[in-house]
Amino acid sequence: MPGLRSVPSTLVLLDRLVLLLVAAVLSAVLTAAMVMQFAFGEIPCPLCLLQRVAMFGCCFGLFRQLRGGDSERGGGIALLFALLLLVVAARQSLLDLVPRPGHAYIGTAVFGLHMPVWSVLIGVALVLALSLRLTLFGDQRILLEAERPALARAARLLQLYLVLICAINLVSVVLQCGLGACHTSGYPLLR
Amino acid sequence: MMTITFALLLAAFVLDLWKLPRTAMACLFICLVVTIGLFLWEIYSPDYGFRMPWLQVELRHPVDAEST
Repeated sequence: MPGLRSVPSTLVLLDRLVLLLVAAVLSAVLTAAMVMQFAFGEIPCPLCLLQRVAMFGCCFGLFRQLRGGDSERGGGIALLFALLLLVVAARQSLLDLVPRPGHAYIGTAVFGLHMPVWSVLIGVALVLALSLRLTLFGDQRILLEAERPALARAARLLQLYLVLICAINLVSVVLQCGLGACHTSGYPLLR
Repeated sequence: MMTITFALLLAAFVLDLWKLPRTAMACLFICLVVTIGLFLWEIYSPDYGFRMPWLQVELRHPVDAEST
């Protein structure tokens, strides 16, 4: 193919593994958030839900990049949503930084940090990981799925899992918000 | 609005699985726009606008501090 040159397959494989690892970590974070919601009754606030949207969007970009071949569009999408996550999480952290009536960090602190602060750290880590990935493996490359069937299968399974948890989140949001504003007091549609 | 955001997100994932990448991208783009709009609506306050007046980090000037 004109304009493309082959690079050592180890580098290509490493790049794909990094993408898959980042997607797996994000899936784990989203799963943990859902466990906190359903097992411990910590209903997410609107900005928390927007942070979930940003994480899902980032995963969408990562999976697209895993099949991307010579295109870096998926990586760009992931970076865009990582920035969105960072902006939303930073604003929420600043919003609840000074406790006052109606505003304070809600939910359980994990290792002393509340969820929005963790989201800021995750956003920074994502931007850093995606930038490093571009720096180290940003060369043009081709890797057909058939060359690495195990990797492609793992990516497919993880993508199906993300679709499943995205669907669960949609049902939960319908129950919590309906077509109006979201409240952390409960699930109005279940009353 | 939040429901629409998540519905668009799920649609993007499903359409991508069904090998309809352009439609999936369109859904994701609309989702991004709705998310940004929702974020701005959520953080806007009728009293403060987008400002955060509870964050006051201004220090007293050293000369003023000595005179009082």
